[in-house]
Amino acid sequence: MNYARRVLVAALAALPLALAAAPANAQDIKIGYNSDQSGGGAAEHGLSGRYGVEAAVEDINKAGGVLGRKIVLVNRDDTGQPPKSIQNMNELIDSEKVVAVIGPTNSGNALAWLHLPQQKKIPVISHVATATEITRRYEKEAKNYIFRVSMVDREQIALLAAYAVKASKSKKIALIADSTGYGQGGVKDATEILKLHGVTPVANEKFQPKDTDMTSQLSKVKTSGADVLIVYALADANANLMKSMEKMNFFPVTVGSWANLATPFVNIAGKKLAENLIFAASVTETSNERAKALNARILAKEKNLPIFVCAAQGYDSMMILAAAIKKAGSTDGEKIRDALEAIDGVQGVIKTYNKPFSKTDHEGLGVADFRLAKWKDGKVVDFEDAIAKSLTAADLKK
Amino acid sequence: MSRNAHLYAFPAVAVLLLGLPFAVSNEFYLKVMFLAGVYYVAAAGFNVLVGYAGQKSLGHAGLYAAGAYTAALLTAKLGWNPWVAFFAAGVVAGVFGIVIALPSLRVKGPSLAMVTIGFGIVIEKIATEWSDVFGGQAGIHSVLPLRLGAEPFAMRDWVLFVFLLGLITHLLMRSLLSGKYGRAFLAVHTAEVAAESVGVSVYRFKVIAFIVSAVTCGLAGALVAQQNQYINSDFITFGLSIFFLLVVLFGGGGSIYGPLLGAIVLTMVDAFLARWPHLQHFVYGALLLFALYAMPDGLAGALRGIGRKIFPRLHERPPVPTAVAEWQLQRSELLHKEAPLLEAKGLYKAYGGVVPTNDVSIAIRTGHVHSLIGPNGAGKTTLLNILSGIVPPDRGTIVFNGADITELVSNQICRLGIGRTFQNLKLFADMTVLDNVLLGQHPHMDVGFWPCMLGLRSASRQEREAREEALRILDFLGLLDKANEIAGSLPYGLQRRLEMARALATHPKLLLLDEPAAGLNPQETHELIGVIARVRDKGITVLLIEHHMDLVMAISDHVIVLDYGAKIAEGAPAQVQANPKVIAAYLGEESEEPAAPAVQPRPAVA
Amino acid sequence: MEAILQAVLSGLALGGVYALVALGFNITNNTTKTLNFGQGEFLVAGAFIGVTLVLVLSGKGHTGVLQPEDVTIVKYLTGLAAILVVLGILGVFLYYTAVRPFVGAAGLAWVMSTIGFGIIIQNTALGIWGPAPLAIPSPLGNEVIRVAGAGILPQEILIFVVSIVVMVALDLVLRKTKIGKAVRAVAHNKNAAALMGINVPAIVILAFVVSSCLAGLGGLLIAPVTTASVFMGLVLALKAFSAAIIGGLDNPRGCILGGFMLGLIESLIGLWHAELREISIFVLIIIVLVFKPEGLLGRKIVEKV
Repeated sequence: MNYARRVLVAALAALPLALAAAPANAQDIKIGYNSDQSGGGAAEHGLSGRYGVEAAVEDINKAGGVLGRKIVLVNRDDTGQPPKSIQNMNELIDSEKVVAVIGPTNSGNALAWLHLPQQKKIPVISHVATATEITRRYEKEAKNYIFRVSMVDREQIALLAAYAVKASKSKKIALIADSTGYGQGGVKDATEILKLHGVTPVANEKFQPKDTDMTSQLSKVKTSGADVLIVYALADANANLMKSMEKMNFFPVTVGSWANLATPFVNIAGKKLAENLIFAASVTETSNERAKALNARILAKEKNLPIFVCAAQGYDSMMILAAAIKKAGSTDGEKIRDALEAIDGVQGVIKTYNKPFSKTDHEGLGVADFRLAKWKDGKVVDFEDAIAKSLTAADLKK
Repeated sequence: MSRNAHLYAFPAVAVLLLGLPFAVSNEFYLKVMFLAGVYYVAAAGFNVLVGYAGQKSLGHAGLYAAGAYTAALLTAKLGWNPWVAFFAAGVVAGVFGIVIALPSLRVKGPSLAMVTIGFGIVIEKIATEWSDVFGGQAGIHSVLPLRLGAEPFAMRDWVLFVFLLGLITHLLMRSLLSGKYGRAFLAVHTAEVAAESVGVSVYRFKVIAFIVSAVTCGLAGALVAQQNQYINSDFITFGLSIFFLLVVLFGGGGSIYGPLLGAIVLTMVDAFLARWPHLQHFVYGALLLFALYAMPDGLAGALRGIGRKIFPRLHERPPVPTAVAEWQLQRSELLHKEAPLLEAKGLYKAYGGVVPTNDVSIAIRTGHVHSLIGPNGAGKTTLLNILSGIVPPDRGTIVFNGADITELVSNQICRLGIGRTFQNLKLFADMTVLDNVLLGQHPHMDVGFWPCMLGLRSASRQEREAREEALRILDFLGLLDKANEIAGSLPYGLQRRLEMARALATHPKLLLLDEPAAGLNPQETHELIGVIARVRDKGITVLLIEHHMDLVMAISDHVIVLDYGAKIAEGAPAQVQANPKVIAAYLGEESEEPAAPAVQPRPAVA
Repeated sequence: MEAILQAVLSGLALGGVYALVALGFNITNNTTKTLNFGQGEFLVAGAFIGVTLVLVLSGKGHTGVLQPEDVTIVKYLTGLAAILVVLGILGVFLYYTAVRPFVGAAGLAWVMSTIGFGIIIQNTALGIWGPAPLAIPSPLGNEVIRVAGAGILPQEILIFVVSIVVMVALDLVLRKTKIGKAVRAVAHNKNAAALMGINVPAIVILAFVVSSCLAGLGGLLIAPVTTASVFMGLVLALKAFSAAIIGGLDNPRGCILGGFMLGLIESLIGLWHAELREISIFVLIIIVLVFKPEGLLGRKIVEKV
């Protein structure tokens, strides 16, 4: 008993010492990375994103760093939980004193801590989280500190809704989504965009992110008479949705978000069933030479790259950030932010970014960069049918 | 900690605590300090429920949620003043505490765990699903933080506020738990039936404990919601309920300082392991197991053990005087001096096919010693249980001192003036001898909840008076020198006497003794005769169940005989001895002949 | 109409798993008055060990992906054998570390210790397999079987059949064999059983082994339907526990009844209003406990004063 007590006291005393981990050189520029890397449906996005960011950091440092200083990435896993994500932001900004943050993965998490970087004047680039509100919340303020290089929901849904409206024979479209900030944000965007097309959804169903049986929600969709279904949730939930559809033998035309790029979707649903979902995508590992190179490089280092587009977006976010710091000539948050809005001609993996941001537009990617895709035989391929081909810019209302 | 030590230590610690936030400029560290304070406030109240009253709730995240969402909704949706919302959060959480208390009152063990878990999950699900009101997983933004004037609290202000709140909470809890309420909670934890027999309403105290814990957890939730300016259903998880329990258990339940230690250590572990989330959870599991093995009394218990060795003065209990005045029994006058003190008519109780009480009627005369005898299984203890309110009779009436008490429960009957001891000792074994007797004082210590918690003079005066009387009662029964010892460490005979002392402390008009001589050696049995006589001389009427015939014959004024649940004889001892029905009932069970009481008592053979 | 049939069928399958786990709770509760609050994690362990074994036998790494043709009945059964061994050992370990030191100690310390044990298992699993769910196709194929318009997976039928078979078998063992009688004797009165020459510690260990194996079996059965995820254990165990409490923790048939009832109720309410599914179950439990604290088929314990 006494011995145990002594051990405990010693351990507790040693704890703070153990935590003074290898500190970064005072000269280095710290960039924070706050993302889900282990929580669940979005973990693969967060991990892939990090691989991309790390590759970019490597390239930047090899070329001499920024302002003559090295970039150090401070990584925090938020396990997909808002309370944890908030705590990470506190730590990164107040304790680690990062100059900027890349992240998060989960839209719900972003919405929870947006006021922190905004109040503390730390620029944030969302390399994955797609909820429209993230960059829009502070757009009326004098200075908006939140930027994004990702497939923003508004633009994705513009594409999906355009397709859905044309594909629906009865003009009866149903929505189904998960209960998180991501799913419900998507539902809000979809409802608004469909209205622009003159369509009101005939059903709006909800499920828990970890649910595995959606037959009850689907039977309500079926009763509503919809022949097209827009689904907004993460890969594992979407897969279970497909399985529930199979049980009910109910297969409306189903379109979904880029979340379906994640391998859990095809692993859980099975190759055959996975082919029934059409989703939005942008760059893939074969789209261009730089993409191929990045993919090969990450695979060599990490052995597994679940979602390429996140890595690409992560890489590009870091490059843009570095360019902005260089342009600002300082690590002051406000100056970097202003530089971001002015920056031009940054070479990324996805494309070359010509004046990606402005005072009113903090989105690095838009619907012009997206297209439709689906799984075929265990691989992601472009999806082109008559309807998709017939879509014009005018159809893409948003 | 002893009173004097606390008097000096507290202001010193307070000054230190309130100065600390000014010495730290790293906002993240300030946030950690804030969280430690928040968890302390939650745990301090939760300790009352878990550590003192012994109700292990696994659903207190639900109460935290009640407070958090109240603060969030009132400020974000209705625009209330954040301070008003903060206090309203505590009130609303308290109401929810009653909601969770009511189903929890009747269940124990795993079922209690289940009820509380269920409650926590239902609240979590409501917050998640009813998203129109609670925002679901998207949550509620723009929760208004507390502010002084126009500026909302900065991190440092939050820390100061929480520390201040913590200091106040500490004082309130310490005051509440060091007197009548603390003892009552512990009694409920240790032995519910015994608690009831000394006038502690187990239901009432469980509900109070739930409310106290609910209010502090609710305030903690409100603090977090207002500091983050955001709340969503991910903050409310089963893991949080476990965390609260861990803080109390790891810190040490049943101690005022336990929650403090637990909150500090665990918040720091939480914050500094946060960068490795899965190591963090692993550590929780390991800490839990470690705490259970190595420190069953938690950190507080372990440190107290060390502290006692290094600073013995710190923990001294006030010394026991060597001599006290004689105990004078003061109580209200009896209503009817001539009528029977207690009259039971036609009592009937059946358990399935077994009928331990079959149409029994008895009358107890004031100032007399009555004995209830009969073979084993005759229904004597059941009768006593019926009279003292533990078991409700199926039929029949009981009138005590002019009032019909048939429908009343144990603690009410105790307050009316019936005290009792138990066949299988039901002492509060972990408490001191003195505390056991002080618990007996409970029914006539009428100081209320608020005076106790606020430490008003009326409360401390009553406590002092009760202590003095308790010492006198102990002296009356020859236990004065053992006052500061732990009840469970006394020899068996003295434990029995202690139970009687406890019962006497309730100022009974009628004292029920269930086999007071069981397990006593002949010497002790002989002493017992004298004790009962002295009790009677104080004006207390006695009804005792016994098998020791010599004791019965020596002390009783009146004997009642039960057999198979029915009264078969009653009268003066000699009469009953000679009664053929009585002899027949005992035939073969008692080997001694029913002769005149011998000077040399022989132990019963039953 | 077919939606209701669908819900009933799914509910019975789900209920089968609840019943198995609930039965595990019953066995340890009867013999030691304790139960494993970390039972959910044992279920998770069972699922993961089963999946990993099939992966290994198919020549893939422990985080590989299983294709339907990889999962043969032989491999599945081998996985089952591995589960029974590993979980049996875990059960013994659990008993010695988390239960025996605290049996009879005041304050429900065993609740906390089994929770702590469960947390450690969960995080070990997380460390080995990571957070992503592991999919395992059913050994009976993934073709949906149509019954009067409602779809049911072969795996769900398997769950139902296996749980019934296991429960009947356990019931027979308890009532007709010598060892079963020994278990029941220990459940009634440990001291008397010891005096009759029954090796009480061995019986108790057996109880924990059986209980853990039941959880592991449940995990293996449900994994093809819901995927094996490190986080699925807690909710499942809570529901199984609720089922046991509703049915009567001390009555094995009560636990089984509770399990199926809960599965059906959950499924039917899910059909009506999906979001009320879990709320309704836990509200139901609270109500049952208030009015009948011993459960529907449980025995009221009269405390002798």
